Amino acid sequence: MLSIHNLCKKFGLIEVLHTISLNIENESIVGLAGPSGGGKSTLLRCIQRLESPNSGSISFKGKSGFMFQDFQLFPHMTVLENLTYAPRINNKTLDHAAHAIRLLTTLGIANKAHSFPHQLSGGQKQRVALARSLMMHPTLLLCDEPTSGLDVATIDDVVELLNFVRKMGVTMVIASHDLDFLTRIADRIILLKGGAIVVDVQPKDLTNPIQHLKAYY
Amino acid sequence: MEGLIKDILLIGSGILLTLELLIGGLLIGILLGTLCAILRYKKIFTLVINRFISIMRGTPLILQLSFIYFATPGLLGIKLSILAAGIITFGLNSSAYVAEILRAGIENLPKGQFEAAKTLQIPHFYAWKDIILPQVIKNILPAMVNEVIALLKETALISTIGGMDLMRRAQSVASEQFTYFIPLCIAGGYYYGLTLLIEYIGKKMEQKKMYA
Repeated sequence: MLSIHNLCKKFGLIEVLHTISLNIENESIVGLAGPSGGGKSTLLRCIQRLESPNSGSISFKGKSGFMFQDFQLFPHMTVLENLTYAPRINNKTLDHAAHAIRLLTTLGIANKAHSFPHQLSGGQKQRVALARSLMMHPTLLLCDEPTSGLDVATIDDVVELLNFVRKMGVTMVIASHDLDFLTRIADRIILLKGGAIVVDVQPKDLTNPIQHLKAYY
Repeated sequence: MEGLIKDILLIGSGILLTLELLIGGLLIGILLGTLCAILRYKKIFTLVINRFISIMRGTPLILQLSFIYFATPGLLGIKLSILAAGIITFGLNSSAYVAEILRAGIENLPKGQFEAAKTLQIPHFYAWKDIILPQVIKNILPAMVNEVIALLKETALISTIGGMDLMRRAQSVASEQFTYFIPLCIAGGYYYGLTLLIEYIGKKMEQKKMYA
């Protein structure tokens, strides 16, 4: 379980996260919604330790993976190298290439294994970024705006991909401004506004979750 | 005609020293410059490295060369050869410029590349070696070619401490013949030829880049 207790984060004088406390069950998918500047991405970055909180604590057992909004694939490496580089550095004995190819096949982009990131479409980059995170065998996957800049059909693909990850038993926290997407994928949606949690609901309990959440924007 | 060929060969014999200074200075410049560029992000080194770069860029190269060649024997009791003094001076001076070129390249790289490396638990050394620097080098290649060309021309300063390089040999031929035009044109031709060669190598390296 991921436990966040009284988390505060300031950038200069601006308090971006204000005493956030939160427990997230294993193998659940939690959506972080809210207006821009609400603190969604900062919360994800604090969980991943890309930002140091000013106070409060985050406890989590296991490995976490992070999918960046703009993917951050390594442009000078092929897809296969992007996937195998970090695992190879961390463990030289295993055959990471075979695992990577299996993962790329499952995600339907095995034919792109030797392409460079600039030769891929947005949706393909998204799959590579996901595969790269999965290569590290995370038990928690943090996704920052995974549908940003993607067309409707590709968003459907992302839903399918994340459901595939759910089946692997990975807990996910997804920050997105796209309420439609979040209600399709998340077991629970937390709305952050002004750095504080203003709503914490399970979409299945509501008849019209999107309308319900929009009322808090 | 025979005299001209003799002059070309005589002045050309200084090319060895010019190339030794260029290659030696460049090696030190790249190694030390890269080290400075990386270590200046570590707080304990920032001040020292910033001062070093500032002094190297803020004082004349001819002063630095004179300092290393004439002042070190008195200060440290070490007598350096002309070649060693030249390589050390040009290397130290170039390292300051290389560090600044690298800084521009590093700061132009998306912050997310560092974060992606951290997220994937790639150790610092490997992140710099395999993720950051290969991307930075591709971006700074044109500026680095400029630096190499500048260094080549700066090696002519070795003549001020008696180094028999292209420039000094041209001056020596000129003073023997009481005419400067031909010897200086010959030296200029050598320098320009070397510059064209460096530009050509730089272009080939840029074309070799593997991604857009």
